[in-house]
Amino acid sequence: MSKPQNTNEQSNIADIIERTGTALEEGRYPLEVMNNGDLYRTELRRIFGRAWNYLGHVSEFTEPGDYARRYIGEDPFIVARDESGELHAFLDSCMHRGAQFCTAENGNTSHFRCPYHGWTYKNDGSLQGMPHMAEAYQDLDEEEIQLEEAHLDTYQGLIFGRIADEGPSLTEYLGDFTWYLDVLFGTTEGGMTVVGEPHRWESDHDWKTSADNFSGDSYHVLTTHQAGLETDNLARGPWEELTDFPGASYLACTDRHSVGYYLSEDSDTFMGYPDEIVDHLSPDLSDEQRELFGRSVFHFGTLFPNMSIIHGIQSGGWGGPWACIRKWNPRGPGTTETTSWWLIPSELADDEDFLEDSHRGWESLSPGGAFESDDLTIWEGISDSSGAVTHELRGTEGNMQQGLGAMTDEVETVDDPLHGPAEVTTKGLYFDERNSRTILQSWYEMMREEGEA
Amino acid sequence: MSAPPLSESAVSVDAETQHDIEQFLYREADLLDRFELEAWLALLDEDILLKVPVRTARHPGSERPEFSEASNYLREDYEMIRERVGRLAKEYAWSENPRSRVRHVIGNVRVLDVTADTVTVANNQHVFRSYGDTPDHDMLSAQRHTTLRAADDGYRITERTVYLDHSILNTKNLTLPLL
Repeated sequence: MSKPQNTNEQSNIADIIERTGTALEEGRYPLEVMNNGDLYRTELRRIFGRAWNYLGHVSEFTEPGDYARRYIGEDPFIVARDESGELHAFLDSCMHRGAQFCTAENGNTSHFRCPYHGWTYKNDGSLQGMPHMAEAYQDLDEEEIQLEEAHLDTYQGLIFGRIADEGPSLTEYLGDFTWYLDVLFGTTEGGMTVVGEPHRWESDHDWKTSADNFSGDSYHVLTTHQAGLETDNLARGPWEELTDFPGASYLACTDRHSVGYYLSEDSDTFMGYPDEIVDHLSPDLSDEQRELFGRSVFHFGTLFPNMSIIHGIQSGGWGGPWACIRKWNPRGPGTTETTSWWLIPSELADDEDFLEDSHRGWESLSPGGAFESDDLTIWEGISDSSGAVTHELRGTEGNMQQGLGAMTDEVETVDDPLHGPAEVTTKGLYFDERNSRTILQSWYEMMREEGEA
Repeated sequence: MSAPPLSESAVSVDAETQHDIEQFLYREADLLDRFELEAWLALLDEDILLKVPVRTARHPGSERPEFSEASNYLREDYEMIRERVGRLAKEYAWSENPRSRVRHVIGNVRVLDVTADTVTVANNQHVFRSYGDTPDHDMLSAQRHTTLRAADDGYRITERTVYLDHSILNTKNLTLPLL
């Protein structure tokens, strides 16, 4: 693996950020933002340091002591459920000399013991003690020793953490997107549950490239995934009954986040889930949310900055339905470690036939899958060439102009409560890049010097 | 399971059987390296199950399995493998157009179990892959457990699990010939 990166001592970060904001008004953006070392370090502070970052799902932390090592930006946090049932997210850095004390991806423990000098913490992040405490620390205020902890909150079982002390609440940050999270993660009474362990891989692409792709880019599917779509022998699902793909597609963008989806005319589609799904529908769903779920084939979206979602049945007969949460962990300019969790409605956890189909759908977007493998090759090329000096010297701009001004009259605004509170268009997944502009606008708002979280 | 079954469980077979098995694995690896996947497909039993379980970093003594029993990078039956082979043959399967340069190095071949018509064998492997016009390369290290069924004209692979030595893959894709 190479680690391409463009670190230019002379580059003016504020200038690139402001140029991005200005160019976005015309549906353009400086290509260099997709691989720039100085911008990257600013992103870690202004975006990942201030945003609500996805950390995991409550079903991964059912018992006291359950923990997992998760990241905010590049900072290693430990999400843990303490003995009283509270969730915490604390930094994997001992308050004595900063050593790391968590070497497993996940597990269950009542205490964490630092391997350097033996300081030991409870699973709520407070100090339990240290070797020779009575002799060596006679004047220490033990209450003062507490691991650095992120602010933590949940919505529909999704756990989010924030480093900054000031900023919007989680529900303010999610805004109107909560309505769509209800349809994706709150459709059954028992909620969603994570199955097994996530796929994880590192690749040389910028986290923004994949966050943008998942926010609603169906346009690329036609080219990138042609080989995956043209299956020869696989049985086809309800997706294949859609004759007018652009017409069946919808794009919903809030002021910060974006989701695209395909709807069938059949109100009993339910993403291809087994029929019994209707017996488990959550009473908390509104009539519109229930109908939208019923007609749903496939959803995909991005919750800024680096959480993406897929929920539905795969095209080409590759499997599903399944739900997947993606996290694009930044690992340096132009490098991302992806974590991809598999989720299902908890009521279906014992249905072996369903699990087999659902696993197939999930693995179709693994590094071994029929779809993802082609994306990754392309995204790495974007990262590599976006670091080109040519782009920097010439201020080269990329294009996300679909749906702007007179570019196309295909895109139609939808004004129907079925589609929730966001700004929704139909045919948007093919002819509108509002999703990309939304995500990059979120980036701009947080990257501005005086920008707010 | 916390790790691939240990070598203590190996059984001894006569030198000719050991030789035949090793030669089969070498020939199979050569087909994979050359992307001669239709010929490779002919070595698979139609009841094959191919799995690449997710491996997770564990604390010593953890009760949780190191290799997931629920989640796999791949878990494929014959139909799915055949579809993937067909997919790779298409010119717009971008990730393998041009083809990766792949080389298996196989060693530590040990027979784990013998039944009336099957032999289960473990092998270690390093698989090198480079791609495109760059000096970059991936190296995938794994132990494979393969169950071979004797047929009239040689062995057929009826089950294979690839136990990766990676908890985080350092490759942009896990294409079939890398397994």
